[in-house]
Amino acid sequence: MQMLETEVLVVGGGATGTGCALDLAMRGIRTILVEKGDLTHGTTGRYHGLLHSGGRYVAKDQQSATECARENAVLRRIIPHCIEDTSGFFVITPWDDPNYGDRFLAGCHQTGVPVSEIPVAEMLRREPVLNPRISRAFEVPDASADSFLATHTVALAARNYGADILTYHSLVEIIRDGDRVVGAVVEDLRSGERKRISCAVLLNAAGAWAGKIAGLAGVTVTVVPGKGTMVAMNHRMVNTVVNRCKLPSDGDIIVPIHTVAVIGTTDVHVPDPDVYGIEPDEVSFMLEEGEKLVPGFKQYRALRAWAGVRPLYKDQDVASDRDIPRTYKLLDHEARDGVAGIFSIVGGKWTTFRLMAEEAVNEIAHRLGNTKPCRTADEVLPPPNFEHRSYPAPGGAAGHRTDHYWLGKHLAAVEAEHAYGDLICECELVTRERMLAAINSGASNLDDVRRDVRMGMGPCQGGWCIYRTTALLYEQRAEPDGVSRQQALADGAGGNADRPNAHFSIQNANAALLHFLQERWKGMSPVLWGDQMRQARLDELIYVGVMGVQRLRPLAEQGGGLVTDRPEVATEYVKA
Amino acid sequence: MIDHIELSLTQSLDHCIKCNICTAACPVAAVTDKFPGPKYVGPQAQRFRHDRQPSPDSSVDYCSGCRVCNQVCPTGVRIAELNARARGQIVAERGMPLRNRLIARSELIGRLSCGPHAPLVNFGLSFKPARWLIDLVMKIHRDAPLPRASTYSFRSWFKRRRRTADRRPSAVSPSSEKRQVVYFHGCSTNYYEPRVGKAAVAVLERNGFEVILAEQNCCGLPLISNGDFATARKYHEANVRKLLPYVRQGIPVVGTSTSCTLTLKEEAPEILGLTSDDVLAVAKGTYDIFEFLRELAERDELNTEFRPLERELPYHPPCQYRAHRLGRPVLDVLSLVPGLKLMESRADCCGIAGTYGLKTEKYQIAMDVGAGLFEFVRGSGAELALCDSETCRWQITHATGVPSQHPIEILAEAYGIER
Amino acid sequence: MNYDTIVIGAGIAGLMAALGRAERGERVLVLAKGHGTTHWASGCIDLLDAGDDPLGAVERLAAERPDHPYALAGAAALERGLERLRAACEAAGYPLVGSPRRTLLLPTAMGALRPTVLVPATMAAGESRQLADGRPTLIAGLRELRDFYPPMIAANLRAQGFAVDGVYLRLPPTDRSKEFGPMIYARLFEREEFRAEIGRQLAEHVRRGGYARVGLPAVLGLRRASEVVRDLQDRAGALIFEIPTLPTSVPGARLFHALEEALRAAGGRLQIGSFVQRGEASDQETGEGAVLVAVYSEAAAREQRHGARRWVLATGGVAGGGLRAEHTGELRETALGLPVRAPASRAEWLAPRFLAEGGHPVFSAGIAVDAALRPLDAAGRVVYSNVAVVGGALAGFDPIREGCLEGVAVATGYAAGQL
Repeated sequence: MQMLETEVLVVGGGATGTGCALDLAMRGIRTILVEKGDLTHGTTGRYHGLLHSGGRYVAKDQQSATECARENAVLRRIIPHCIEDTSGFFVITPWDDPNYGDRFLAGCHQTGVPVSEIPVAEMLRREPVLNPRISRAFEVPDASADSFLATHTVALAARNYGADILTYHSLVEIIRDGDRVVGAVVEDLRSGERKRISCAVLLNAAGAWAGKIAGLAGVTVTVVPGKGTMVAMNHRMVNTVVNRCKLPSDGDIIVPIHTVAVIGTTDVHVPDPDVYGIEPDEVSFMLEEGEKLVPGFKQYRALRAWAGVRPLYKDQDVASDRDIPRTYKLLDHEARDGVAGIFSIVGGKWTTFRLMAEEAVNEIAHRLGNTKPCRTADEVLPPPNFEHRSYPAPGGAAGHRTDHYWLGKHLAAVEAEHAYGDLICECELVTRERMLAAINSGASNLDDVRRDVRMGMGPCQGGWCIYRTTALLYEQRAEPDGVSRQQALADGAGGNADRPNAHFSIQNANAALLHFLQERWKGMSPVLWGDQMRQARLDELIYVGVMGVQRLRPLAEQGGGLVTDRPEVATEYVKA
Repeated sequence: MIDHIELSLTQSLDHCIKCNICTAACPVAAVTDKFPGPKYVGPQAQRFRHDRQPSPDSSVDYCSGCRVCNQVCPTGVRIAELNARARGQIVAERGMPLRNRLIARSELIGRLSCGPHAPLVNFGLSFKPARWLIDLVMKIHRDAPLPRASTYSFRSWFKRRRRTADRRPSAVSPSSEKRQVVYFHGCSTNYYEPRVGKAAVAVLERNGFEVILAEQNCCGLPLISNGDFATARKYHEANVRKLLPYVRQGIPVVGTSTSCTLTLKEEAPEILGLTSDDVLAVAKGTYDIFEFLRELAERDELNTEFRPLERELPYHPPCQYRAHRLGRPVLDVLSLVPGLKLMESRADCCGIAGTYGLKTEKYQIAMDVGAGLFEFVRGSGAELALCDSETCRWQITHATGVPSQHPIEILAEAYGIER
Repeated sequence: MNYDTIVIGAGIAGLMAALGRAERGERVLVLAKGHGTTHWASGCIDLLDAGDDPLGAVERLAAERPDHPYALAGAAALERGLERLRAACEAAGYPLVGSPRRTLLLPTAMGALRPTVLVPATMAAGESRQLADGRPTLIAGLRELRDFYPPMIAANLRAQGFAVDGVYLRLPPTDRSKEFGPMIYARLFEREEFRAEIGRQLAEHVRRGGYARVGLPAVLGLRRASEVVRDLQDRAGALIFEIPTLPTSVPGARLFHALEEALRAAGGRLQIGSFVQRGEASDQETGEGAVLVAVYSEAAAREQRHGARRWVLATGGVAGGGLRAEHTGELRETALGLPVRAPASRAEWLAPRFLAEGGHPVFSAGIAVDAALRPLDAAGRVVYSNVAVVGGALAGFDPIREGCLEGVAVATGYAAGQL
């Protein structure tokens, strides 16, 4: 078994885990991060993409509200390419308590959430499809965020500072020496190889899985996975985040993120963060709620539905699940449970990931005798290489560039480069160059590529690009001269260990295609009607009718460094 | 007007299933790299456009609006209209070059050119050095088919022959025996080809209609195509005011220019977002002349006393018929004329697309798009070509040397109406 | 205008039905919203995915499943329909080869082998028996065509035991540099100098590798594919075969064109871009269901009325747009509002696995018919006595999963054409 040694082992490759790895690495602490799937496999990759202003929490969870308000400004500064400044409205519909408006205003003032009331006419001018029966509207600095891109950005920075980020490494055992955690055994799902990592501190940043991980160390952390279902609508009928102005509940927000508008969400407690499905009545409920904000909402085309699980940490002294706050907590298991060498950072939300990391790392650094201060709030992070460095600015003046995300960014870039003939994913305007960069940044299946560059996330849900990307994946990974390809991959992956360690065969490529086709189907099925059903049938004509992919099932095998057939990383596990 | 599946113009992008049938059929994408294709600039790019952010793209400007894409789209995406809106948005942000502002003002140019001085204007515009200079300065291609102004306007002709009669709309008696129809002449008939209007009036009168010359202005289509929506709205609203009294009395508005009638029927209301009852009433009351005559034929009310015309002529249905979505009314009606054989052009587009092919940067694209049609016309060996749209006629004649007429003129001939 | 027969839907089924009736002297019009499935599918004629003798399998299927479209049309209609289709393709200079008694296995653009029956001659040299003859095969493509990847295709074929290599050719110089969709290539291949350069490169590969045949993406010409392939074969010194790939399908467009030409030659009319949105029944009650007298297609500012004595509905199921699912769980037939036979509830529409055996039940939904292809309601009564339903619009089968999409279209279309 390969033996690795580090100071801190971070478990969990979501926003929190990578944020911790960055902070640790920046302070010069040797860090290894392990994540059983791709980065953002967990909650980070499955939410609606909201950068909270804090407005949602001003009535019932004021600490969260204040944290969000502060971190909102920080994230805009350090990862601008991940944030779109959509702004946000909180609106009082005829179904909401009209008195809540003043309570909302007061709450914002108390918690430091910037707010201003705008005339309803102004709201309608900016968002003409909103319900004209809305009586009041408040504007807050909500924004939409690309959490995949953000996590990759943070991970890249962590790597640049010397951290090792190991994806598709599943934690199988935590090693204790008496009452002290001294290391862990992980399995590389791409090859089956096991590695032993010894560490001074294990930081459990596994989000909704924190309870499972803690359990491996023999401590009890109660995490109630709160499933939230969301639906992506084909185009942005609103360009501003729109919230129902009331006590937070289900289906009360529409987030415009990239090219889609996401309506969310529900809150159903599930026993296992790896196993859950999407119920039809969740979907129809959300569409009904959408009607209240946008009359005619149900007529818009729905692209797919998915769910993530919130990491709701139930403290020992909380009586009922309903009272679980959304703020975060750092658990020092030595103090709490008598087991040293292990911390858990639990709860929280995406918007506060950096702050969570700061608090966790402050404590851990102190324990390790490291006195360097936290600088994560100050340093602007560069984008990964499958993302544009900067893009033509809104306004399109030649030579003028910007670091921020804006909706027209990819279109402007493709136009500026006259790259329309080179689009591999046409719906999301992904050029061959970006697709290859994504494939070569260590993708272990096509879903990873999707998370990098949105391949397959547009209206056709991969009808064309799944085929093309599979071919490119095959070409990149399987050259006659296997060694040189490995080398090139190693260079592209930043000199890190994210390399497939087996020769890549066509069988592996076929498995990647079938796996991703099933992934897309999983999300389309709950919302399949109207135009999207016709789309799905066309996709079926392409893959079954023209390409005959079902005949390649006997020629599909997991391997070649890909992960396409492991239950550890699939929810509602159904083989393609 | 709106089918039960479609909801709104922007929303029609939701129908797109990314199949690229439109791109495969697009005559402009087939001849130039500058146009990435209707799917790309239409429903695909629309998802990246934000109505409060500057337009991220420019290649949509190369859409000619021929609507082959709409015609072949399996799901009913209003691609050409999405493109027109996008172009309008770009103009609203970046302004309109002087050249576009000028050529979009058909009525102004017509009024200035038409009259006794017309031969001078026509000479000037056919004088090579002058055209070379205009190309350089204004970017209107030196070879672009500019029309020849008439020495008299259609309206002046019509008024002269009716001068003695009292024909103001308010004086129309409801018990009048003759059915009435308003003739919408448009700029081209008025200032360049009054003979088309004369033929139309004669045909309508031969069918027992009294033709009313209503107050009217330019339909505004060149303004819409060039993206000046603000001015186009003014034009259209003015036309609606002028035509509404007739339409409300059940008097149809009939036109020979397929682009003008399309603008009144659908293009102005849809692209400019005008949805008042008055606008819709005028739309509903507007007919292409052959559409109108075909309906008469379907009710057995068409005068079918035709002289046989032993002729075989090439006919090109203009692109606007795709947007009218009425099939081929010219073929249906002219098939009733004994001896007359029309050879239908199967070409998609003549290329001119209104003012598109006049522009220096687009002239060659337009000529390449129309190449198939020109070959067909030349190859027919006929001495005359037929097309309902004036700009198409000018393009066809320019490219092939074959004279062209509006099919209404042939119909007039079949009725034995002297020119 | 009034017709003897109006066909709604311009796919293979609709065009076959229209052709049959036009050739029997009827005045026929085909109305269609746009292009569709024919322009997406492989361009081959699939009969049934069931072993070596497809016609035998069809006969057995018809005996086992009396509601299946093959049972309704009959094997004789299938065979005669296939002959008629072959003749139409032959007349267009685009022969189909194969026999209904013999399954052909052709490589796909993934490198899988797909069963089919009639294929364009331009694809025939890629049949699996030939690939297995021991002589090596080359798959060649152009990087600029994003829809075809020789290394992957070759690798999958090698994994199935064939001697196949994959290579990218260099794009010959053209005046285009950016956008290269399948239709652009189809036209480029019809240019001699483009073919000459490709041929030179192929000849070099053939010489070095001793290849007996070369597989290229199915973009080898639109109207002159046979000539293009012959020329390439001469230049390359090896057999050439096409491999269909992602839509838009050039071979599909060729099939459509061949049928369109045959229809026009028989005097039939085609009106694309007109979406039929409702029907009009006569007042009279006959013993056997209502009589459809007219349909209305969506037009600018109004509807266009089309009258006919008899009708064929060929709108194609969910893929074709003839059936539409609402979020409420209802499945609607979009042209005439006919009753739809569908799974009892939305919960039964879809299987959890995308590639589930037998497919997804919702895609077998459609219109139930009697032996004369007349639409039935839930109680089994004839809805319209003068309407025949053909092709994908029919209930009780999944054309994609069963591998019978074109076969059913041909059989039922032909059968309706003879009614």
